[in-house]
Amino acid sequence: MIYILQVIILGLCLGLVYALMATGLTLIFGVMRIVNLAHPIFILCGAYVAYWLFVLYGLDPILAIPIAAIVCGVLGAIVYKLVFEKDAGSQKYSEMTVLLTFGTAMILDGTLSFFFKNTQRVTSPSYATDAFFIGDIFLPTAQLYSGLVSLSLIVALALFLKFSTLGVAIRATSLSRVNAELVGINVKFVCLFSFILGCALAGCAGSLVSFVFSFFPAKHFEWIAVLMSLVVLGGMGSILGAVTAAIVLSVLASLVGAFLAPSWSTMVFFLALFVILLIRPQGMFGKYLS
Amino acid sequence: MTNSKYLVPLLALLMLTMFPLVQFFSNQNYIIHLLLYAFFYIIMTSSWNIIGGYGGFISIGHNAFLCVGAYVAGYAAVRYGISPFYLIGLSGLVAGIFGFIVGLITLRVKGPSFIISSIALIMIMRIVFDHWDLVGGASGITLPFNSLPVQWSKLPHYYSFLFLALAAIYLNWYVRHSKFGLALRAVSHDETRSAVAGINVKMIKVTAFALSAFLIGSAGAVWADYLTYIRPNMFLVILIAANIVLMVILGGKGTVTGPIVGTVIFILFNEIILTFFGATELNILLTGLLLVITLLYFPDGIVGSLKNKNILPKFLDWG
Repeated sequence: MIYILQVIILGLCLGLVYALMATGLTLIFGVMRIVNLAHPIFILCGAYVAYWLFVLYGLDPILAIPIAAIVCGVLGAIVYKLVFEKDAGSQKYSEMTVLLTFGTAMILDGTLSFFFKNTQRVTSPSYATDAFFIGDIFLPTAQLYSGLVSLSLIVALALFLKFSTLGVAIRATSLSRVNAELVGINVKFVCLFSFILGCALAGCAGSLVSFVFSFFPAKHFEWIAVLMSLVVLGGMGSILGAVTAAIVLSVLASLVGAFLAPSWSTMVFFLALFVILLIRPQGMFGKYLS
Repeated sequence: MTNSKYLVPLLALLMLTMFPLVQFFSNQNYIIHLLLYAFFYIIMTSSWNIIGGYGGFISIGHNAFLCVGAYVAGYAAVRYGISPFYLIGLSGLVAGIFGFIVGLITLRVKGPSFIISSIALIMIMRIVFDHWDLVGGASGITLPFNSLPVQWSKLPHYYSFLFLALAAIYLNWYVRHSKFGLALRAVSHDETRSAVAGINVKMIKVTAFALSAFLIGSAGAVWADYLTYIRPNMFLVILIAANIVLMVILGGKGTVTGPIVGTVIFILFNEIILTFFGATELNILLTGLLLVITLLYFPDGIVGSLKNKNILPKFLDWG
């Protein structure tokens, strides 16, 4: 019983990190209708920023979050200006845009691989190998911290979307682009802003990921499918859905990992993706994709 | 003028058929390898074009069928000692049936969802094949070498691939001009209206998907024998599928000759890069760059763009 509880708690912590990884993706989809396959590579960029800051200057990955966010945000702005601005707003291009994001992911992947090679890296702040016990339950500090930071960032994002003017504009655009334009929202700016915000969130997630998982440039292909499963299961564009899906699937994955074999655990995400496409293509909370 | 439409392809075919004769004079295995590699990719791009170009279902997971075909042939070769060449049809059939089943599930969704599901397919297969001890798990299967002298050893693969490539191109042409292809293109534009017009939308989609899986699976059998070593991480990587998609889009998706043109240009481009810069990670970068530039500036590809300007050479104009 304790064992099961233990596994669930570890899954929960990881789930929160996955949730943060997925929120940026679902935000970008909600506003721009772009399935951003380049999202995981932005996460990796954030992870590399945190890694080098830690290695060169000894900066704690959690404190590196703002820097990683800014770097990824700027990178996102550049990518948006170069690649997506031309098409932003039209609806017919969805498939081509997915391939565009895929091409972008390959460009960034190639650049990262060229500079950093396919070496597995992980930041190791002092707490990375620490753990403490609550009763009989074992809590690795790294997982706990990353889970808590993710949770607070997600809550901050939710509050921002709920109460700030810009947040309302983002939600309005995501509900209906045309109507948002009619009531005087600068949709172009909202698109640019949410793309940057999504990439910045990827950067935040990246610095947390840097001490939770080991990473190398080609890792993002695996994350694409994992994150997509969360976003599709939650319903594209729904942040609450993505967070719920992340927590549920991550707990399931750790149960599978604990009772079957660790290498089977990611299977949960991919199978969930298939099953959800089969039963309810619009996801738990979401809208239709096509 | 009308003659050049047939003349150029026939001449090209004749030259490709006769080319191995140079082996009598000097050993040109490198060029033979390059040609058969091009045929191999033409099979994949042409088959991909059936569902991706005409059907509008962009799959970044078509190498899953290559993997199935290769493993059917590889397993039979090692376990029962049957030469993979006898199993081309069977491998194709298994891959086709697999494609049919997968298609029944994933073709229910359109657009981005479908692309995502195709990525998930290779991820799932990667995990399954990595753990499947019967077919060697992550370390794969080693196939027997063929016993031909070195300058002839590539020829069985050369001619099989040439034949399969012709079949794929013919199928592509047939689908483009048949009623089936018309229905498929109607479905890609509007499923509801096609259904109202009396088209069995689901069957059309799934059949097209299975057809493309069939051809890729057949190519997989020959490819397995050519490589003499197969393991999951050779087939189930997104880069292969990305190359297929890039080649078709570069050449022009939804055209008969587009996949061929795209494949040839891409392979030449790749070979030049390899010669001048070596095999570095820059390859991934340049592939991505080429994809982005093509999509942004010539979304119709080479054949499509030339056709729009009415300057497409006759011998490339097959619909």
